[in-house]
Amino acid sequence: MTGERGFQEYSLLIPKKSFFNWIDNLRSAYRVLGPVKVRDQAVFKEVSSSADLFMEYLTTMLSPGKIFIYKAREDILKFRWERTLSIEEIKPEIEKQVIVGIHPCDTNAILYLDIHFQHAFVDPFYKARRNNTILIALNCTQVTKDCFCSSVGTGPFLKAKSGYDMLLTDFGEDYLVELKSPRIFEIFNLEGKKADADVWRLKSEKEETLIESFKKFIDIEGLDDLYMRNLDHPVWADTADRRCLSCSNCVMVCPTCFCYDVVEEMSVDIESGKMFRQLDACQDLKFAEVYGGNFRRIRASRLRQFQMHNLGYTAQYGLLKTVGCGRCITWCPTRIDLTEVAKEIQRSPIR
Amino acid sequence: MKNPLFPLRAVITDVKSETGDVRTYSILLDSISYSPKPGQFNMVGYPGVGEAPISLSSIVSKGKFQHTIKSVGRVTGFIETLKEGDEIFLRGPYGSSWPLDDATGCDVLLIAGGVGLAPLRPVIQVILSKSGSFGSVTLLYGARNPEDILFKDEIKVWKKDIAVLLTVDEVLSTTKWDYDIGLVTGLLDKVIFRPEQTFAFICGPEIMMRFASRGLFLRGFLPSKVYVSLERRMKCGIAHCGHCQHGTKFVCKDGPVFLYRDVNRFPDGLL
Repeated sequence: MTGERGFQEYSLLIPKKSFFNWIDNLRSAYRVLGPVKVRDQAVFKEVSSSADLFMEYLTTMLSPGKIFIYKAREDILKFRWERTLSIEEIKPEIEKQVIVGIHPCDTNAILYLDIHFQHAFVDPFYKARRNNTILIALNCTQVTKDCFCSSVGTGPFLKAKSGYDMLLTDFGEDYLVELKSPRIFEIFNLEGKKADADVWRLKSEKEETLIESFKKFIDIEGLDDLYMRNLDHPVWADTADRRCLSCSNCVMVCPTCFCYDVVEEMSVDIESGKMFRQLDACQDLKFAEVYGGNFRRIRASRLRQFQMHNLGYTAQYGLLKTVGCGRCITWCPTRIDLTEVAKEIQRSPIR
Repeated sequence: MKNPLFPLRAVITDVKSETGDVRTYSILLDSISYSPKPGQFNMVGYPGVGEAPISLSSIVSKGKFQHTIKSVGRVTGFIETLKEGDEIFLRGPYGSSWPLDDATGCDVLLIAGGVGLAPLRPVIQVILSKSGSFGSVTLLYGARNPEDILFKDEIKVWKKDIAVLLTVDEVLSTTKWDYDIGLVTGLLDKVIFRPEQTFAFICGPEIMMRFASRGLFLRGFLPSKVYVSLERRMKCGIAHCGHCQHGTKFVCKDGPVFLYRDVNRFPDGLL
């Protein structure tokens, strides 16, 4: 049972108790990260025991990919002046980690960041963390009022065939465990009941039932072109001027927003310094400013950039940037909803 | 794996003042693998100060190349303080280049505004070094005033081989000026083109590139042969930081040299 064929056929019903025991045993070699209940929210963090895991969580404010793989801040270079200037590269610290319980939207978000940071140029920090992170995805059992993954093909059940290691589906006392990578096949050693036709049928029924519970939808057919024909649609200025605070919450909670700023920081005695990068947001006034002008001086243009990047502009990487998690809606102080803006344009296009 | 954001150490071998706030820096880089094409750029800067995307203003000659930089911000203001013998740090070359191979055998029209002449200078250097490889070559160059004209001495030399038409926005009465006054697009009527076999390379303020491109299309130029070089804020130069995104494009990776028709539809530009 080795090789490509072997692990793809390896789908078992495993009692949850056994599964969590296996997770606990992983802690000898891996940091184990997963959803934990913190007051009335769920937060992805390191756990010291699988008992801390809150696998029934609904959603989190931050996606695991942007906490543990693409970090909000990363030191890149150190420099020091003595007689001459020396520059030292800061290497990514490598620690093997497992992220448990990643919802399909957030798993797809990591697959999107994989493309962005390992495209024409490879980011060594991203690559090192990614290679040392085992992703255990978890199909959803419930949806929030802002979830729209079923409209954009990223959930509520994960369809991606590769790029992650394991997929869990809740079967009451058991998890349906599907292995998705050769490396997980090497470390997963539990025996269980092999998934038969009944199991797959039940899985499909669970998915169909869940899809029926969605409250938010967006028709993405032709949206790229529609946006391009409606750059001056009044909904942009109207939404931006009346509601947008340019607070950047939407960007900060977005699991696929990748933009960063590079900052040079000097010591007080100006003998040493470092260069680091940190998350940046297209909603910031200075984001697209150059000498002699600012390409997105108008608030509406910044709002439009975020929404078009997520729901249009698929030509950038050949897929939608949005994963339908709905966080930008949930965490917007004025509840600006990119699906509603798109629908307004679809209802009353100016061209 | 080496971090692509790690800069290369180079030495300034000469600083030449072009105008009040523009200087041309000759730079020696000890790297045999460094082979930039005309139109590409470097992230140029100094640790602790920052980096800015700057197009090369020359071809590489004897291991040296030049950057012509206007002092306008924190990074370029710091670079202005550097002297011959000082170190400067850079990464590159990045981005797309002017399609000189495609233009070989064709006429070439260069339109520059202000410091936008700098990224076109390596094109002129290549054309002059390959006499006979190109058809008729014309440079239309506009600046704010006669003092802001770059490469004044070189332009006199260029004129022996290519047609050069200059124009400025304004001339003080005390200045001697034998050329045109007005927008660079006004020069289009002073030249006879063979539009279908002419490649146009345009670099300058975005609004100028817009009207120059449209002026060319009205005169029969082909959308497949009109190129512009875009300027955007950049922090990384390697299509990661996202600042330079223009529509679906990363200007640092897909540009800075684009076919006008590939980028003029996108929002948030002046094309």
